[in-house]
Amino acid sequence: MTKASERAFVRMEQVGHCYDPAAGNMAVQQIDLEIHRHEFVAVVGPSGCGKSTLLRMVAGLLIPSAGKVSVFDRQVTEPRDDVGIVFQKPTLLPWLTVRDNVLFPLKHKYGLVTAADKVRAEELLAMAGLAQFSARMPDELSGGMQQRVGIVRALLLNPDILLMDEPFSALDAMTREQIGFDLLDIWTEHPKTVLFITHSISEAVLLADRVLVMSQRPGTVLDLIEIDIPRPRSSATINSPRFAELTARIRKHIYEPEVHA
Amino acid sequence: MLKKLTKPLLQVTALAAALGCSAMTLAADKVTFQLDWLPGGDKAPVYVGIQQGFFAAEDLEVKIASGRGSTDAVTKMATGQSDVGTADIGALMAAKARDGVPVSAVLSYFSQAPHAFFTLEGSSIKSLKDVAGKKIATSPFTSSNAFLPLVLKENGMAADSVTLVKSDPGALSPMLMTGNIEGIIAWVTNVALYEKQAAEAGKTLRVIPWTDGGLDLYSSSLLAADKFLSERPDVAKRFVKAFAKAVQFTYANPDKAGADIHAIVPEVDAAIAAAQIRSINGLVYNDVTSHDGFGALTPERMALTWKWVSQANDLAADAMNPEVAVNRDFMPEQK
Amino acid sequence: MSQKSMPNKTALSDTATLAIRQWLLNYASALFFIVFVVMWELICRVGKVPVYILPSPVSIVNAFFDVEFSRWLEHLWATLRVALMGFALSICISIPLAIAMVRSEVLSRTIYPALVVIQSTPVVAVAPLIIVLMGTGDMSRVLITCLITFFPLVVSTATGMLETPEELIELSKSLRAPRYRETWQIRIPYAIPHIFSGLKVSITLAIIGAVVAEFVAAEKGLGYFIQFSTSFFKIPQAFAGLIFLAVVSLVLFKSVQWAQQWLYPWSIPKNKR
Repeated sequence: MTKASERAFVRMEQVGHCYDPAAGNMAVQQIDLEIHRHEFVAVVGPSGCGKSTLLRMVAGLLIPSAGKVSVFDRQVTEPRDDVGIVFQKPTLLPWLTVRDNVLFPLKHKYGLVTAADKVRAEELLAMAGLAQFSARMPDELSGGMQQRVGIVRALLLNPDILLMDEPFSALDAMTREQIGFDLLDIWTEHPKTVLFITHSISEAVLLADRVLVMSQRPGTVLDLIEIDIPRPRSSATINSPRFAELTARIRKHIYEPEVHA
Repeated sequence: MLKKLTKPLLQVTALAAALGCSAMTLAADKVTFQLDWLPGGDKAPVYVGIQQGFFAAEDLEVKIASGRGSTDAVTKMATGQSDVGTADIGALMAAKARDGVPVSAVLSYFSQAPHAFFTLEGSSIKSLKDVAGKKIATSPFTSSNAFLPLVLKENGMAADSVTLVKSDPGALSPMLMTGNIEGIIAWVTNVALYEKQAAEAGKTLRVIPWTDGGLDLYSSSLLAADKFLSERPDVAKRFVKAFAKAVQFTYANPDKAGADIHAIVPEVDAAIAAAQIRSINGLVYNDVTSHDGFGALTPERMALTWKWVSQANDLAADAMNPEVAVNRDFMPEQK
Repeated sequence: MSQKSMPNKTALSDTATLAIRQWLLNYASALFFIVFVVMWELICRVGKVPVYILPSPVSIVNAFFDVEFSRWLEHLWATLRVALMGFALSICISIPLAIAMVRSEVLSRTIYPALVVIQSTPVVAVAPLIIVLMGTGDMSRVLITCLITFFPLVVSTATGMLETPEELIELSKSLRAPRYRETWQIRIPYAIPHIFSGLKVSITLAIIGAVVAEFVAAEKGLGYFIQFSTSFFKIPQAFAGLIFLAVVSLVLFKSVQWAQQWLYPWSIPKNKR
């Protein structure tokens, strides 16, 4: 028997989904994907190609109408609580302090939090550089800081899988780049299996081990690209020729249909 | 030990029981009195009865509830929310003919109709016959509207010879005073109020009561719930007696009566109430009462009243025997 | 061209205009009120408007002080008591109802049409029936008030609960938290701003409800007082009652606002706190 870490951790086999069976148009179809443990996979594709659909299937929030999704050799049939989700918007609860927002998943799942949980929340906040903001209310924080809190919240339950749905798309370019590197730091320190949805090609290349390129709706896999740029990556990575090559390859995939048309 | 504790306890209980007993013997009979409208000079007798001690002398404790029209008052007596009250006997007759409400008239209060035309000095409307072809304002829900065609017919005019303008009761006076309209329909119970308004506007009010035009009927009367009459006849008898006394006192001493109502309802101005009482003396004491005595509800006049009421309400003349609306067992002895 | 001196001048007048504008903004309502009252008094005096058409502010103020203060308090208490009890009853009914409706599609589909029917029935027309059925005591007046106030509360609470971001509901689902915690820890707090908008509408309706009930049956209360004054042609006194009633409504409205500020400061947008 192979060790768990060597097996595919998340596996999608011929996955397809249709939101409206009556109309019959598929959101995604024939997706095959294997994600290894502690691998960082980014998904890019034009808007509406079903990137978020994939993410929700892994979380068990959506059961595919075709094919199957399994995590750790177990088919996903209901919402799983070993995933941490970071949404496009921070979606913090405005009536809770930053620390209580981070603790919210615990409070929500079990109804209570212990002193140890509070210490852990403070530690995570410190790691994200938010130590001095833990008693603040969310609306006192900038957009970038709010999204960091959103990431910290997703890490609280120490999930095996981190699902990120265009987490930085609402941020300005500079904040975005910085928070991306911060995410890599956190990921290095607390290795997780990451499924990262984005519509930024350079962000995908900069952060991920592999990039899944999806077609327009109905979303299918156009390419799965190994990003062989060594880690740790930095802003210098962006200037490397390999980075330019890889982004160009992806860009070609995405714009090709338009060129033909 | 236990004994020591229980003894004072027993004493207290005994004391309480004694107090309770004496309170019971002292407790007056409670009666809820229903007005057909808000308090005012025309409603003075019941307040006088309380303030002058006429009710207390009969061992009665009277609570007063204001009403919103005669129909409302009759309904409240029928549903047992009130025991006794003053309201238009016509409304009672109509309600009895239609639904047989368990309420009866026990004493007449206004033995004449209060309906009238109000106009100002200088207007071409000098008598009832002058209203033909005129525009007259009235409030939408007054019972006067039903009697108007009958009165017009009685005086040789077509039922539609007057153009009616329906308007909120509160707007009638301003309409009249500003010359917006030449005449209005109102009750003589309001003469004092309108006269005051007219005086403030530098004008003089002219009142043309419909009794002048042959409208001959009982109007506001003392009514009582049948349940009250059958279950507490003794209380009812004492109440009617005290009420009759209060009416007499009210019209003999308008100023005192005004002060009495003001004492209970401070919003009612004593002087205005007194003026109201003086102005409606004729409704209470008139040819009818000098012939039959105050309070009487004679079969002849009941029949006459029903004749008017049945026509005004589009009821068949034989829809009801007017005698079922009256209960004479509680009339105070005539002196 | 005099362009050189222009910037300075405009800057100066700009600050001046800005200051005036700020001042106007701060005192706009007070200023408007004063101008309004003065105009009113002037129109009454110059136009010799008869009091039964429009009483002047001075005559209204006089009428107010002609009535003993203790009487005002008695009437105020009668109206306030009914309004607040009706308001409280309406909160106790509508918020649980809204929660139930959000949680159950079936309930929502069955109850909503009934609510709309109740809401579109003129309470003024139903009020006499309620009085006949339930008697002339406080209870029937409280019920009338409750009937008028509960609809906006149900709608605003339900709307607020349904406007919770979908992401948070997904978060809750992915945590496999019990459903009641989704309601209590996410949906209801999210509905707080909406609930308070509903409460603000309802509290002013509560006063209207109490007054409507007093028009139908009452021995005390500001509505009764106004009706009474009108029936005696004491128009300035009726206006005094009306204005007193408006002030009471305003104070209650403000109290709801203060309560929100005090209890849930986060529920008010930052620039309005």
